[in-house]
Amino acid sequence: MSLAMKYLKLEIASVSAVIALSAVAALAQRAPSANYENDKKVKLAGVVTRIDWVNPSAFFSMNVRDATGTVAPWAVEIGNPLDPQKDGWKWTTLHIGDMVTVEGIPARGPRRQALATSVVLARTGAKLFVASNKPRAKAASQPVPRWPDGHPRLGPAPGKKGYWGAPSSTVLVENTGVAIPMNRDGLLANITDADKVAPFQPWAKAVYEYRQRTLFKDDPYNRCIPPGGARHFQSPYGFQFIEQPDVGRILLLLGGGDRNWRIIYTDGRPVGHKDELVLTYYGTSVGKWEGNTLVVDTVGFNEKFWFTNGGLPHTEALHLTERFNRSDLNTLRYQVTVDDPQTYTRPWTGGWTIQWVPDEEIQEYFCEENAESTFVR
Amino acid sequence: MMRRRVFHWVCFTSFLLACVGVVAPGFAQQGHPLTGTWNGDWGTSPTQRTQMTIVMTWDGKETKGTINPGPDSAPVSVFLDVINWTVRIETDMKDSAGKPVHVLAEGKMDDIGNYHRTISGTWKQGTTNGTFKLTRD
Repeated sequence: MSLAMKYLKLEIASVSAVIALSAVAALAQRAPSANYENDKKVKLAGVVTRIDWVNPSAFFSMNVRDATGTVAPWAVEIGNPLDPQKDGWKWTTLHIGDMVTVEGIPARGPRRQALATSVVLARTGAKLFVASNKPRAKAASQPVPRWPDGHPRLGPAPGKKGYWGAPSSTVLVENTGVAIPMNRDGLLANITDADKVAPFQPWAKAVYEYRQRTLFKDDPYNRCIPPGGARHFQSPYGFQFIEQPDVGRILLLLGGGDRNWRIIYTDGRPVGHKDELVLTYYGTSVGKWEGNTLVVDTVGFNEKFWFTNGGLPHTEALHLTERFNRSDLNTLRYQVTVDDPQTYTRPWTGGWTIQWVPDEEIQEYFCEENAESTFVR
Repeated sequence: MMRRRVFHWVCFTSFLLACVGVVAPGFAQQGHPLTGTWNGDWGTSPTQRTQMTIVMTWDGKETKGTINPGPDSAPVSVFLDVINWTVRIETDMKDSAGKPVHVLAEGKMDDIGNYHRTISGTWKQGTTNGTFKLTRD
C-alpha cells in the first residue's frame, strides 16, 4: 500500500472515556460539547478541497476515501484563526490540493464534520495545535507593578504590554474543596453531582440538569450572545484592564464574545438597584480597593445569557461580587460570590486564577452567528 | 352584551400580540422557565378557540400571574412541578352572568430551553372542559 493510500485510509474509533484535549480548549469559544461528541475521536486523511479562514471559526474541507474506495467530503473545524497562528499557520499555509491527516472529535449526528485536535500537512510536515498543547510559558517573576498611590496595576507596567489569559479553570463551582469531575465546558461526568456544583433552588437545579442532559444545545453563547457575568473570564482569548484613575473607572476589554467591553466605575458612586437600571449582559459595576484587592459589585443583569460555562441559571436578581487580586506579576486571583436569592438558596463563592500573557496584545476575536453556516453540512 | 365584550377582548388581545410580536426577540430570557409573557388560546374544540395572554413572574418563592392584562385581567395561581415539567394554573373569574367560576388548567411544558417554549394541556370549568396551548414570547 502506498503512503498516499495509507493516508487515505479512514479510521473512526470510539472511546468510552471522556477525552481531555487541551487543543480543544484553545479552540473556538463556543462549547464543543454542544456540537461534538467528546467521547469519540476520528482520524481522517485526504485532500484539501476548500479553505475558509474566517471568524469565529476557520474550516477546511477535505475529500476522504474510506476502505471501500468511496470518497466523501468532510468539514474540519480548526478553531478561531488566532489559534493556528500560535503554530505559525496563516491563511496561506494551507492550499487546496494539499494532503493532510487530521485527528479530531466527530460532530454529533450524521454530519461528516470534525473538530480538529491535530492536523499534519504532508507537504511540509507542519503540525497544528502543537503550541496550544504546550503549557504557556510563565513570565519571569517580577514585583507587581503599582500606581503612584500604591494600588496594584491590573494592566502592564508603563512601557510594557500584555493581557490576562489562560484561566486555570473554565467552570464555576462552589468552592467547597470537593472535586467534581466535568469537562472544560462544565459538562458533568456524573449528573448526580449537580448538588455539589452550587446551592440550587429546585427549579434552578432542574434547569441546570436539563441543560446538562441536552448538552448545552440552547446555550445563548452558541448564537454569539455576550458572555456576561463571570463567563468572560473563562474565555481562552483573555481580557485586558485599561485603568483610568483620573476619571474614576476601569475598562475591561474582552477577548471572547463580540469584542465586548465592560466599565467598572471607581468614582465612589453607589452600585444602585436593578429596578433603576437598564438590565444588560454585563450589568452595572462599581469597584473599590480593599488593600491590594479590587472588589467589584455588579447588579443589573438581564436574563438573556448564561453567566458561566456549564449552564448555571440566574435571574435579574443576580448580584456578583468579584475580587481581583494580583498576587504577583503573572497571577491574577479571581474570586466571585454569586448572590441570586431567586435561583440559589444562599450566596456562594467560587474562583480561579488567570495567567499574565506578557509582551502580547489581545487579539481580535469576533463571534459571528451562522458565519460557518455555508460550511457545516 | 357578551358578544361585544368578547369582541373587545379579542381586539385588545390582538393589539397586545401585535405589540409583543414586534419586540419579541428582545424579551428572550434564560431565567426561571415560567417568567415572561405567554400567548396562546383555549377552547372546547379545535375550531372554538379564544386567544389569551398570561404574564408570569417568579419572585424567588412563588410564581404570580395575570391573565389578559388590562381591564379584563384576573390574577392566576401557577404551580410548576420541575420533576415532570407540568404546570397547574388556577384562576377565579366571573361568567357572563357575573357568577364566580373557578378555572383549573393543567399542562406540560415542552422544549424548556427554547425561548419560545410551550405549555399545552387541558382545562375545566365546572362541567365544561377543553384544551389550551401557550407559547412564551
